[in-house]
Amino acid sequence: MNRVLTLAAYNVRILLSERTWFILAWALFGLQIAVYGSLMSKLVSTTVPNYLFFYGVGLMVITVFDSGADVGRHFVEHAHEGELPYFLSLPVSRGGFLAAQAIYGVANTMIKVLPPLIGVLWFVGDLTIQGAVFALISMFLLGLGITGIMVSMSFIAFKSVDIYSAFLAGLSALIVRFSTVFYPLIFMPSFYSPISVFSPLTYGADLTRWVLGFDPNFLLNPILAAAVVTGVAVGTLSLSARIVDKVIEGVKAA
Amino acid sequence: MAVLISLSLSDMLVVGLVYGRLIPTKFAGLSYFQFLVPGIVVVGLFSAATDTGRRIWLTLPVRTGGLVGAYIISGGLGGIVYSGALLAIAYFALSFLGTSTIPIQGIVYALALIPFLFVLATGIAGLAAFFASVSRRGEIYWVYAQALQVSMVTISTVFYPAQTIAQYLPAPVATIAEYNPLSLAAGVLRNSAFAGNPLDTSVLTNLLATSLPLAILGALAYWTILRNIRLKGKP
Repeated sequence: MNRVLTLAAYNVRILLSERTWFILAWALFGLQIAVYGSLMSKLVSTTVPNYLFFYGVGLMVITVFDSGADVGRHFVEHAHEGELPYFLSLPVSRGGFLAAQAIYGVANTMIKVLPPLIGVLWFVGDLTIQGAVFALISMFLLGLGITGIMVSMSFIAFKSVDIYSAFLAGLSALIVRFSTVFYPLIFMPSFYSPISVFSPLTYGADLTRWVLGFDPNFLLNPILAAAVVTGVAVGTLSLSARIVDKVIEGVKAA
Repeated sequence: MAVLISLSLSDMLVVGLVYGRLIPTKFAGLSYFQFLVPGIVVVGLFSAATDTGRRIWLTLPVRTGGLVGAYIISGGLGGIVYSGALLAIAYFALSFLGTSTIPIQGIVYALALIPFLFVLATGIAGLAAFFASVSRRGEIYWVYAQALQVSMVTISTVFYPAQTIAQYLPAPVATIAEYNPLSLAAGVLRNSAFAGNPLDTSVLTNLLATSLPLAILGALAYWTILRNIRLKGKP
């Protein structure tokens, strides 16, 4: 356990050395909320009341998604820069190695999401410790699921990192646009809504909005959302554990 | 290229359609979907122009000025090719999903706009060159490119009309959005390429006046950094 934490601490230290990136990410978040969020909320105010809040949560979910994708990229970079054999030679089990990656992912997500979450809740006058904690738990579970998906997909990168990057960019476009990150499911055309229910972001975004008290008429059933978010986290992490255990051998450095 | 196309198409055919249902207001006679689609073409031009990345080919038998020129021109051409493809898709999308047909003269105006869009794309490529020259690592370039894109697209009239910005945000922000080259390009595409109104020369002049300095600034910054690399071995 101690070795896993040491490995995780090493990754998190590297993460914390990139302070400029965090500040830039928070600044861009603020800009998007202050300009895009506030103006779009005026335009859609007749159909979705309090759209600024809806959009703010959506933007946080995007941040969680990006952080999860970062962990996958981090993992793939280790493989292609030839560092993976070194990490695998450390006296840490494969499960421990994956756990260290997951801790890195959680730290990355929390650092990126916590200040915007507090900022948005304060701005809309809805800042409570209870709300912030449950929203963090919801986004934490979603982040684990996204990390699991990205690490599971990393076997593609073992063949070609270019295909992996293109695949992830395309997948990200579809997962985000077809989800309820920016608009409620009830406003989606009937030919898009069946695709939306396959996006984990749909459930993560609606669950987070529900725990923060957004009007449930615009959201999915919270029990279903919680079950799907938990199921995706457990399922994809189990899959990624198998991949790290079985498939990771023989990865070639670029 | 395929990834960029998929991003723009999903913006146009998913985000545009859903927001069209959320926003019942008409903007100068245009539904929100019709309003947004030209904006997405301009965002696509932006993405393609910055996609030239951070490349330094100092070993080639080409002078520094030649490398800089090639970089800027490739950004401009990339923007034109990509936004041209998107424009064609947008015509189809609006013909099938919009409530009005595209006038023939709109297509003629779109062709006449190509040189101006090329200058805009070179301006954006110039900005990209500037950021490429101050980025010491490749991934930092992409962070800068993303920050540039978010800032320029957010404070523009790509997603919302100038009147809405002026009504709800401070005057300096509204002015920046009005003279943002992306706003000017989106506006001229809406008015002429899609609605078929004659080209507005004052808007075209403003587009050139805002894009050319960006191209020159970027070219100078990139030239300086390449010269430093040649002389000192580092930026």
